[in-house]
Amino acid sequence: MAKIVDARRLACPQPVIQTRNALQEANEVITIVDNETSQNNVTRMAQKMGCTVQPEEKSDGLYLHISKSGDVQVEQQSRPVSSPAADEPLVLLVPDALMGRGDPELGGILIRAFFHTLGEVQPLPDTIIFLNSGVKLVIEGSNVLEDLQHLSNQGIDILACGTCLGHYDLKDKVRVGEISNMYTIAETLLNAGKVVSL
Amino acid sequence: MSSRLSYAVVLVPSTNHALQAETILTRQDIHCKLIPVPRHISSECGFCVRILQADKEHVSHTLGAANVHIAGIYDL
Repeated sequence: MAKIVDARRLACPQPVIQTRNALQEANEVITIVDNETSQNNVTRMAQKMGCTVQPEEKSDGLYLHISKSGDVQVEQQSRPVSSPAADEPLVLLVPDALMGRGDPELGGILIRAFFHTLGEVQPLPDTIIFLNSGVKLVIEGSNVLEDLQHLSNQGIDILACGTCLGHYDLKDKVRVGEISNMYTIAETLLNAGKVVSL
Repeated sequence: MSSRLSYAVVLVPSTNHALQAETILTRQDIHCKLIPVPRHISSECGFCVRILQADKEHVSHTLGAANVHIAGIYDL
């Protein structure tokens, strides 16, 4: 039996969070949205998790029929993906490719350790935002790429600032997440319940 | 985290040793990853090199030949 998520009149990122939580409990979810942005965001997140999405337009809203495909591997979560309060998204802000100040070599090791550890502790962030030199972590050759791809497969949104990628001339080298803009980044930070900045 | 692979960790005296070990193993195409020491092995902050259990002997031999001092290899 499909789980219903009524996301009409809900502001971003609620439709995505509630759908993702529903997918932890059910193989079939029907998310009802009332705008194109919500439709795109929910569809993208569900497809990233390996689900199929069938939109059905009805008079009272757009019904997104989401189904976990049997032949596509969906990474199973044995623990909650997001923080306990669904309306308080947890956002991780990564403004640098290094962690901490001082020895850059140590900073590089620490950030590798952090992203490895994210796969083992809870809660997981709902969104990870990469800014300035932090965008170097989402490109080919990054030694946290595998960890980020693992997180992305679990439905975590990964956003990399487009301006920053352009500044470092790395736009065509992005291998995980999506290229975002300051509007989305600002919105995500301001609507967050908690922002953890490295 | 891949749940189907069996891992072991190589414990080393310092972070520099960990980096050195990782460089040597990577050059030999031996699968490895620098990770924090798992909490059930040590409560102190430190780094170790995660390897496949199947590669334990190869790793021990490779690091020994390169004179990289290790404190032990433990199955995860």
